[in-house]
Amino acid sequence: MFELASFNVGGHELFVLPFGDIVAYFTPYTATLFLFALIFTLICIFSKPENQVDVAFGTDAIYAKEVTGKDLRFRRFMSIACGVATMGAVTSGDIFNFTLFVSMVGICIIGIVASVKYKQVLHTAFNYGIISMLAMIPLFGGAAITLASTGTLSIWELSAIAPAMPWIAKALILVGVMGEGIAPFYVAKAELTRAPGAPYILMIHVSSLLMFLRIIEIMLTV
Amino acid sequence: MMEEYTIGLIVALIAVIITFVAIFREKNDIHRLIIADLAEVSALAVIALIATDLAEALIIPGLVVGISELLALSEIYLVRENLNRPVKHPFRIEVLDTAPTIIAAILVLYGIVLSGFTGGVVAGTGMVFYFMGKKQAERFALVETVSGYAWAFWIVAFFIFMVIPEYWFFAVMLAGGAIFAKVTAKMSLIGTMRGEKDV
Repeated sequence: MFELASFNVGGHELFVLPFGDIVAYFTPYTATLFLFALIFTLICIFSKPENQVDVAFGTDAIYAKEVTGKDLRFRRFMSIACGVATMGAVTSGDIFNFTLFVSMVGICIIGIVASVKYKQVLHTAFNYGIISMLAMIPLFGGAAITLASTGTLSIWELSAIAPAMPWIAKALILVGVMGEGIAPFYVAKAELTRAPGAPYILMIHVSSLLMFLRIIEIMLTV
Repeated sequence: MMEEYTIGLIVALIAVIITFVAIFREKNDIHRLIIADLAEVSALAVIALIATDLAEALIIPGLVVGISELLALSEIYLVRENLNRPVKHPFRIEVLDTAPTIIAAILVLYGIVLSGFTGGVVAGTGMVFYFMGKKQAERFALVETVSGYAWAFWIVAFFIFMVIPEYWFFAVMLAGGAIFAKVTAKMSLIGTMRGEKDV
């Protein structure tokens, strides 16, 4: 009943879970991504946070930054939520659900660093948040144009009528995912990673990476 | 039909371009936040242009995601700028001491007559006005408990619809009353947001 028309990207589907016309599915490709997200979420659940140590420059003194109490609980929760949103995005069989999950990942990334009380981290998180809010326009715009021009949002049906999705919609969704997944570039500025607490911060990298890998599969399938 | 859609899409894209230019020229962070919210409204307009029931169903999650991002960013802004102290001199005029009881009573009674979601909103407006006018410590825990039980009753009503549909009238009454209590309780909390501790 459910069979992807072009299976040379992600391989044949392994498992299909239909909720009405919204059909979640695994191919070997997305199953790998899902497992990766799952393992990393489990790491976030069970591991203790790192205790970051800063050296006071020019002296022997060090500062130990600890993540404890309410802060720890909140950040662990946000990184688990980020992992769950990532898993949703890699298994989703619907363009609009995918864009929603991508925006949820964006919110969770802000949440992971939001409880850190360092001003420069909050400043970077705020700027990333503005970008991720703006990225919702091309994301939802792309999904809306897809729906208007093809009449469906399901990846199954889009892959059956393969080059039907207009290139402008593809481009918009790609730009949107780039906007939401831009967090690691803020990390490259070493501002977000100054926030202590290793496994939670690394969830930002993992979710953005998986988001990019999944959007490539969608773009090549539909 | 397609022609109108194209025109609407072009107008929406022009609006998006204007917001993008504005956000790149703007330097003040709070203004950039507000402009980003305006940009999201134009994203919702692009979805709304499809003009089907499905588009309506897509707008609601889009709106929720947008609002939650806005809330998260405003919270970050408040923490970053150390704006978490309560307001020193709240707004007081005499009519706020005398009017709220009467107006709140009228609105709550009318809300009960309306019942359901609309009634909840009307009664909730009355409660917001009451709590804004009266300056007293509210029992948040009680309001929250009422709201929680009301939500549970609402869900129970849905189960009655699905499992024993012959009792639909009871379920309608239950759902109408429960959503009334829930919306009223939630809205009345808005009136108590004065920036005290844990609010």
